[in-house]
Amino acid sequence: MEIRIEGVSKHYYSEGKVIKALDDVTLTIPANEIFTLLGPSGCGKTTLLRCIVGLETPDRGEIAIGGEVVWSKDKNIAVPPEERGLGMVFQTYAIWPHMTVFDNVAYPLQVRKMRRSVIREKVGRTLQFVRLEGFENRPATKLSGGQQQRVALARALVAEPKVILFDEPLSNLDAKLREETRKELKAFLGKLKITAVYVTHDRVEALALSDTIAIMRAGAIVEVGPPTKIYFNADHEFVADFIGRANLVKARVVAQDDGHTVVESGLGRIACQRRDIPVGAQATLCLRPEFIRIVKGEAERGANVVSGEVESLVFVGEAYEVEIRAGTERLLAKVDPDLELKEGDPVSFSLDPAHCLLVST
Amino acid sequence: MDPTRSRLTWSLIVIVGVLTLCPVVMLVLGSFSEGLTAFGKFTLAKYVEVYTDPAIADVIVNTVVFVLGSSLLATGLALFLAYLNNRTDIPFKGLFKVISIIPMMIPHVLFSVSWALLLNPSNGTLNLALKQVFGLDAAPFNIYTLWGMILVEGLLDLPIAYLIIAPAMASFDVALEESSRVSGAKTWRTLVRITLPVLRPAILASFILCVVRGLASFAVPSVIGMPGRVYVLATHLYDLIAKGFAPDYGKAAAVGMSVLATSVTLIYVYRALTAESERYVTISSRGFRPAVIELKGARIPMFLVVGFLSVILIVLPVAVLFYTSLVPYSMVPSARAFSLMSWRHWIDVLDDPISVLSLKNSVFLGVVGATLGVVLSVFVAYVIVKVRTRAAGILESLSYLSFSFPGIVVGVGFMWFFVQTPLYATIWALLIGYIAIYMPYGIRPLSSAFVQVHAHLEESSLVCGAGHLTTMRRIIVPLLVPGLVSAWILMATMFVRELTLSVVLSRPGTEVLAVQILRFAEDGLWGKLSALGIIMIAISTTLVVLATVVGARFRVVEAA
Repeated sequence: MEIRIEGVSKHYYSEGKVIKALDDVTLTIPANEIFTLLGPSGCGKTTLLRCIVGLETPDRGEIAIGGEVVWSKDKNIAVPPEERGLGMVFQTYAIWPHMTVFDNVAYPLQVRKMRRSVIREKVGRTLQFVRLEGFENRPATKLSGGQQQRVALARALVAEPKVILFDEPLSNLDAKLREETRKELKAFLGKLKITAVYVTHDRVEALALSDTIAIMRAGAIVEVGPPTKIYFNADHEFVADFIGRANLVKARVVAQDDGHTVVESGLGRIACQRRDIPVGAQATLCLRPEFIRIVKGEAERGANVVSGEVESLVFVGEAYEVEIRAGTERLLAKVDPDLELKEGDPVSFSLDPAHCLLVST
Repeated sequence: MDPTRSRLTWSLIVIVGVLTLCPVVMLVLGSFSEGLTAFGKFTLAKYVEVYTDPAIADVIVNTVVFVLGSSLLATGLALFLAYLNNRTDIPFKGLFKVISIIPMMIPHVLFSVSWALLLNPSNGTLNLALKQVFGLDAAPFNIYTLWGMILVEGLLDLPIAYLIIAPAMASFDVALEESSRVSGAKTWRTLVRITLPVLRPAILASFILCVVRGLASFAVPSVIGMPGRVYVLATHLYDLIAKGFAPDYGKAAAVGMSVLATSVTLIYVYRALTAESERYVTISSRGFRPAVIELKGARIPMFLVVGFLSVILIVLPVAVLFYTSLVPYSMVPSARAFSLMSWRHWIDVLDDPISVLSLKNSVFLGVVGATLGVVLSVFVAYVIVKVRTRAAGILESLSYLSFSFPGIVVGVGFMWFFVQTPLYATIWALLIGYIAIYMPYGIRPLSSAFVQVHAHLEESSLVCGAGHLTTMRRIIVPLLVPGLVSAWILMATMFVRELTLSVVLSRPGTEVLAVQILRFAEDGLWGKLSALGIIMIAISTTLVVLATVVGARFRVVEAA
């Protein structure tokens, strides 16, 4: 089901200051997709999620789920969370400690006054789906973090909601378990035809899980798009910087020619992916470290070829992170550990215009 | 294991063991023997006599109704207040802190007396006023009933119940409620199915603690129950030793045994429950500010309920005592009453040698007793928190045992003990008894203070070359000051107002304030009683202020 958010604002007042948690957000979340709200902490992503589910009341705007308006200031509609028919996985899982696994998962069905036999059957099927069969009579608190997480997922799914919401569900797991659970979650959601809204501040999680990502900053949506678009082709400097490691270089547009936008920068003249920026305007050139492929020694001057010198080297396991001084800039590059480099070595690299990204500031 | 620490642990076990176990052992022995001065042969006669007495059935029924009723009232009110404070947008939340702390400063015996002054059937101020206003023939309320006792005891136990339930409510992960609402449950269903069950350990713990306090309560049963001839076990026991010409300590011990056994069992359950409630703690969130429930139209009425409670808990008792201390006899406040006001009762009390003696004794017990009690508690808390051997575990169990002791029962046990010693009828007997019973109140704040002094702070002092004593003096004690101050305040205020143990152990020459007030109440000398009561509250308050000031200065010096 599609979720439509229109002009939603929410302000908090704290110590005499107004905090804009949501600042006139308009957004359409397409049906049957995994949609991620990504942003630094305090950007309003959790507030937006809680507005969708009904735990938070916006100040202005309208929210519709699957064509039904669930909240509207102007039409004076406010459907309480218990009547929105959604599923939600909380950051703390919110597993009720006084109930067994079965009771936790059965609760949404019991509240809907379903018959006992139906409940038993549905809970059994859902627990099987999240691979927790046989855990029915365990006290819910006697489970590992990953298992509690799956109980929370089962509880959110059991009533077959139109939409399921996730509020940073993996942030309480340790790194290794987080990666496993993320894969599992992706597999689970892939099997269901369901709209999933996922909130996180972890960019890897967002890239790995989502069909679409919306990046938020200071209560507003900055950019929306599929993961590859966000990573490789971001329009905003903030997005390019937030979604991955990036070298940001100040540049000025000097020409627009056969499919490239050419800029003058501290690295020299660089042909970039085409953007509609007028000649003479300022822009920021974004270079991902993994696309700066260096070779030893100086190279012949040519289009998009840059020479420089190794300033420092850090071994991080699968690669060396190398700082290169090139022209007036200092760039970070990822280098294969086989390449024997030391500080002070002359190096060069050529840049593929497809990976030279101009972003607006 | 460090031998000095081991020696310290074992000497503390001996001291605390003697203090807590001696009265119990003496009580058991006493209940099986013939008389107070000579133990004589082993006999079951006292048990048979006491428990075949036809009056005992009524006493037990009264006790059960009184204790359960007041605990229900206190826990229910506490739950209501804690929910309002933590979950709703009720205005003036500062009031809740006042309700939970200030009533502890008003001694139970005075609180009971103030309600007797307001609602007694013959000349209770409130009754007289209602009669005038509505033109009634008879007084509408009679406090001297089982229901009156339940009301007053329930209000007295409200702060302690609130202090147990409110933190549990505050640390409650709101996501547990939110996920229930998202699952489709409305507010009421969420309250019944999720909120209350998750809080169950805290609710039960508060209820049980109230039951134990109700069993040990003597102020309410004596001031409110006895004039209405409603007897509970505590007053029944008191009758056996204080009324008539031949006090029978054997029978009293036999009655006390059942109270003591119940209390000890309940405290055991209580400690198991508090351990369980810690187990109930799930992963807690980063503290997203929970959405509060909007009371909307109920906001002002709910606030009025809370305001009314704070008036009857704090303002009314003090006001009625002050008023009564100034008027010559019970009368409704009026122009005539104000014209008759004088300081006569105050002058009478300060001229009365026994009242002055009781004042001196109580201040002495408060200051000296609390100081000695805190010194002992520091060592005990240190061993419990920092030594952590099996012996330290024994010490911990021993030191919390007296938490369950009903004062009047243990007092009978101490009586059997002190009669054999030269301490009998001296102020030192009271001092030892007080410290023995109230030790947990000193140990608790100090052990939480010790928990906060991280082992590394201590260890780095040792590595720097300081010995154990220097480390204690230079590092640990300064960090402990807040804990020391609150332990001292708790003990001192409890000692100044102590009634239940004193009522057994106090003899001519060792009168204390609370007992003197009880005597005035028995004789119906309300004016003098009120004057002495206000002085008592003033002393408690002064001690609290003094201790706070001294504690603050000590910390400033250390910081400079």
